[in-house]
Amino acid sequence: MRRIAGAAVALLLLCPAGAWGNFPLPPEPPPELYGNILINRTSRESGVIPATFSHWSHRRKYTCRVCHSELEFAFRVNATEITEAENRQGKYCGACHNGRIAFGHEEAHCNKCHNGDLEYGKEKFSEISGLPASRTGNHVDWTKALEEKRIAPASFLAVKPSSDISYDQTLTLKAEWAFVAPAIFPHKRHTDWLECGNCHPEIFNIRKKTTKHFEMRRILKGEFCGVCHMNVAFPIRECKRCHPSSKRSQ
Amino acid sequence: MRKWLAFVLLVPVLASFAFAQTGTKKRRPLPHEFGEVVIRNFSPGAGLSPVQFDHWLHRAYYTCRLCHVDLGFAMKANATGIKAADNIKGYYCGTCHNGKMMHGDRKIFPSCASKNAREDQKGCNRCHSKGEAVPRSTNFATFVEKLPKERFGNGVDWEKAEEKGLIQPIDSIEGVSIKRPPLAAQKDFAIGAKVETMPEIIFSHRKHTVWNGCELCHPEIFPTTRKGNTNYSMVEIFEGKYCGACHVTVAFPTTDCQRCHSKPVR
Repeated sequence: MRRIAGAAVALLLLCPAGAWGNFPLPPEPPPELYGNILINRTSRESGVIPATFSHWSHRRKYTCRVCHSELEFAFRVNATEITEAENRQGKYCGACHNGRIAFGHEEAHCNKCHNGDLEYGKEKFSEISGLPASRTGNHVDWTKALEEKRIAPASFLAVKPSSDISYDQTLTLKAEWAFVAPAIFPHKRHTDWLECGNCHPEIFNIRKKTTKHFEMRRILKGEFCGVCHMNVAFPIRECKRCHPSSKRSQ
Repeated sequence: MRKWLAFVLLVPVLASFAFAQTGTKKRRPLPHEFGEVVIRNFSPGAGLSPVQFDHWLHRAYYTCRLCHVDLGFAMKANATGIKAADNIKGYYCGTCHNGKMMHGDRKIFPSCASKNAREDQKGCNRCHSKGEAVPRSTNFATFVEKLPKERFGNGVDWEKAEEKGLIQPIDSIEGVSIKRPPLAAQKDFAIGAKVETMPEIIFSHRKHTVWNGCELCHPEIFPTTRKGNTNYSMVEIFEGKYCGACHVTVAFPTTDCQRCHSKPVR
C-alpha cells in the first residue's frame, strides 16, 4: 500500500515535467484556406451538405465583434445552434444574408454556403492580395490593413455601443523560461476588432498572477491566445509578433 | 493509510481546481435564455421536472424589489428552498399564482394549488417545465419585438423600456407590500476604476431604485452607503458579488462594459 502511495506521489511530481518539450505547431493550410471552417452540427444528419464559412472574406467587411458579440456566434465551430428557421428570422447568418445586405435564403443561393467545400470561393482570394502582406495565415497583415485604413470593417450592425472604451494598455508578460523573450500584449490592436467581453472574463479571467497559466503548451491546445491565434488570427508560428525581442527569424 | 493516500491525491486535484482557468469560451446564453433560473430543490424528489423561471417575462410586469424584497425570494437560484406547501399557503410564487389574482383581464394560474395537482400534470408542467416540451403562452421573439434593443443579455434595453412607459412594472401588491414614501435618490456619481486609462463608472441610484428600491442592495450587497467605503474589483463582480449579484445573470451583463464604464478618461 505504501508503495502505491509513493508511486502516486512520484507520478504527480513528474507529470508537469512530461509536458515539457518542443512545441508541435499545427500544420498550416494554404493562405486561401486559413480560417475557413466547415459547419456540420446537424447538416449531414438532416441530409444537407455542410456549410462552409471563410473568415477572410468576412473580416475585411466586419470586425470580429459583429458576429462574435452582436450575432452571438460562439468561438468554436459547431458550438452555435444555427438553424435555417433562425437565419430566416434574421438571426445569425440571416442578420446580413437576407437578400438586402448579402444574398438571402433563396433556393438559388443554397450551395453558396452548403457546398461542403472548404475551397469554395477561393477565386475571390485575389481580391485581398493587395493588402499588406505577412508570411503566415492568410498572408495578409490584417492589423496593418486596418491601421492603414486599407479595410474599414463595420463594428456593429443594429445596436451601436453606448460609448467607446479606448483602453490601450500594452502588457508585457515575462516568459517562464529565462532565454525566451517576454511577450507583449497590445490591448488596442485587439479592441479594434473585439469587444472587451469577447475575451474577459472567460478566456482571460483578469486575476492578477494568473498570467502564468498562459503557457505555450496550453495556447497550442486552443486555450487563451490560442482561441483565435491557432485558427483565424495570425498563427502562433509568427513568434516575433508577440515576442518582439526574440532572436528567432520569424 | 487509505485516508492518507486519498488526502495526498486530493490536495493537488483541489488546488488545480482552485487556481486553474480554462482559457476557453463557454456557451453564451441566447437572448431568451438570459435570466433563466432552474429551481430544483425538491422537484426531482417529488418526481417532477425542475422549475424553469424566466426573468424576462416577470420583470416586464413586476419590479425586482417586489419579488426579492416583499416576497422574500433570495438572489441566488435554489437558495430560497420554495416548497409546494409554501406556494399553497400563498407565499413565494403562490402570492400571485393563486388562481385568484388578476393580471389585466386574466386570472393568474395557480401554483401547486390543487390537492390533485399531481394527477393534473398539465398544471404542474406549466412551471415544472425544464426539459419538457411545454408550449409557452408567451413567445419571446414577439414579446420583445417592440421593446428597445440592447446589445447583450435579453437583447432588450429594459431601462429604456421602463422610461418610455413601454412596460410599467408593478411595485406593490395589496396585502403584501406596505407602501412607504420613496427616499430621494442621490445624484449620479462617478466611481473610479482601478486600472489606469479605464473610463470611470457612472453609477445612477435613480436608475436602480426604479426597480430595486433601496433595500434590495443595502445593506447586504453593499454594506455601506457612503461612497468609497466599499472596495470591490471586477474579479469579484464576475464571481457574482456586488454589482455581479444582478449584472452577471439577470440585469444587463458585465460584457457590456461601456454601459457602466462610461465617463471618458480626463
